[in-house]
Amino acid sequence: MALAAATKSLQLIGECVPCVKQNASKFKIKRLELDQHLLMYFRKDDYIFAHDPEKKCKTGDIVLIEKLPEKLSRLITHKVKEIVYPLGDVTDPFTGKNVVAGKFRDQIDKVNQAYGKLPTGFDYTKAPKRGWQEDKKDFSHVETYAKYHEDGKDQPYSV
Amino acid sequence: MNAICSSIKLIPSNLSNLGSLRNYAFKSDLKIKWTKPEKIACFRPEKSGDLEGMPDIDKSRYPLQFKNCKELENADENVKRLFSLQFHRRSQHTNVYINDMMDQVRRHPMDKGSMEARIARWTGAIRSLQIQMDVHPRNKKAKVNLKELIEKRNKHLKYLRNWDYRRFEWLLENLQIAYKPVPSEYERVSRKGSLTKLTQIYCDNVVQERLDTYREQLQEEQPKFLEEKINTLEFLQQEQKDCGVEVTITQEDIDKVKEKLKVLLEEKAKKAEDLE
Repeated sequence: MALAAATKSLQLIGECVPCVKQNASKFKIKRLELDQHLLMYFRKDDYIFAHDPEKKCKTGDIVLIEKLPEKLSRLITHKVKEIVYPLGDVTDPFTGKNVVAGKFRDQIDKVNQAYGKLPTGFDYTKAPKRGWQEDKKDFSHVETYAKYHEDGKDQPYSV
Repeated sequence: MNAICSSIKLIPSNLSNLGSLRNYAFKSDLKIKWTKPEKIACFRPEKSGDLEGMPDIDKSRYPLQFKNCKELENADENVKRLFSLQFHRRSQHTNVYINDMMDQVRRHPMDKGSMEARIARWTGAIRSLQIQMDVHPRNKKAKVNLKELIEKRNKHLKYLRNWDYRRFEWLLENLQIAYKPVPSEYERVSRKGSLTKLTQIYCDNVVQERLDTYREQLQEEQPKFLEEKINTLEFLQQEQKDCGVEVTITQEDIDKVKEKLKVLLEEKAKKAEDLE
């Protein structure tokens, strides 16, 4: 029932989840579904595939997706319009400043300078863009699985 | 009555002899061998994601409490030796190692509580305890400590990933940790389930193989088909001219096909050269 409602609307906001498809990304659409017996709303997630040939959506991004006039395939019904909130790169909408958890980045920087900044600390200007550790040390962009078979080969996505 | 019952009982066995399909207890003919992966303890580095172990600490170094001691600088050689790590407990070695780990990521000299410093501290402790576990595998307190530390570190890595992705990746690189999220659904490793998955992989491979061979076959036939197409187009163009009908096939169409054929043949020659 929720899926029918989701497919009806033209634009949706969803969270990108790991997906192996090469030209599309998978999105989790959060909906609230009314339970008629309890008269309460419960969370219900739907999954939608959106056309994304460059794979610019990364896992965890909040993305605005738009319905295609015609289905591209049996699964791909939407296309990516805009990445609204990239994961791990929060900007405060009021001040336009970057935020880490509960603090502004420039405030953190001022504290570091007051104590005497060290070159060992993390530097935003030198840091490469997100994704340079993919498949090397960061495996959060794929769906991991419990290892079920020993075939002598290296299985990087098994836990 | 008994006769009827016995005849009813006989029916299924007769049917199975006739070759009807059995859904239950079905055994596949495919020769897929399943080897169950050996269980790895949760605190082992393979599971915890530690790509590096604790190295041997230089024994001529001083423990943390004597690190900046001015009296030791001018002291006698024997005193220096006695105060070095050589005559201290293992825990002092670990403290020095933890401090080294934190030094790699410190924001400022007083930094002890930042996210990266804490994760570095736990990483040092984890790697030290992992060595302890190899030496004393029945040390239950260390085991519990270690497991809790690993889980705490994973939890905070998860938070850091959400807050500041680039710092998270930088930290993984600096501390040599591999971060793998927990699978979204828990599935017990079973013989039946594993064989189902392996059969699926086998079938997918068979389909892909057949598709590939068919593709190759079609590609080999392509030049021949294009030559035939050129001949047919030329013949039709000539016929249209001869009959005085409107000429619908232009020279451009034929040239296009010829160009395509040329490119194809060139590619083929290149491939053959590469193979040699």
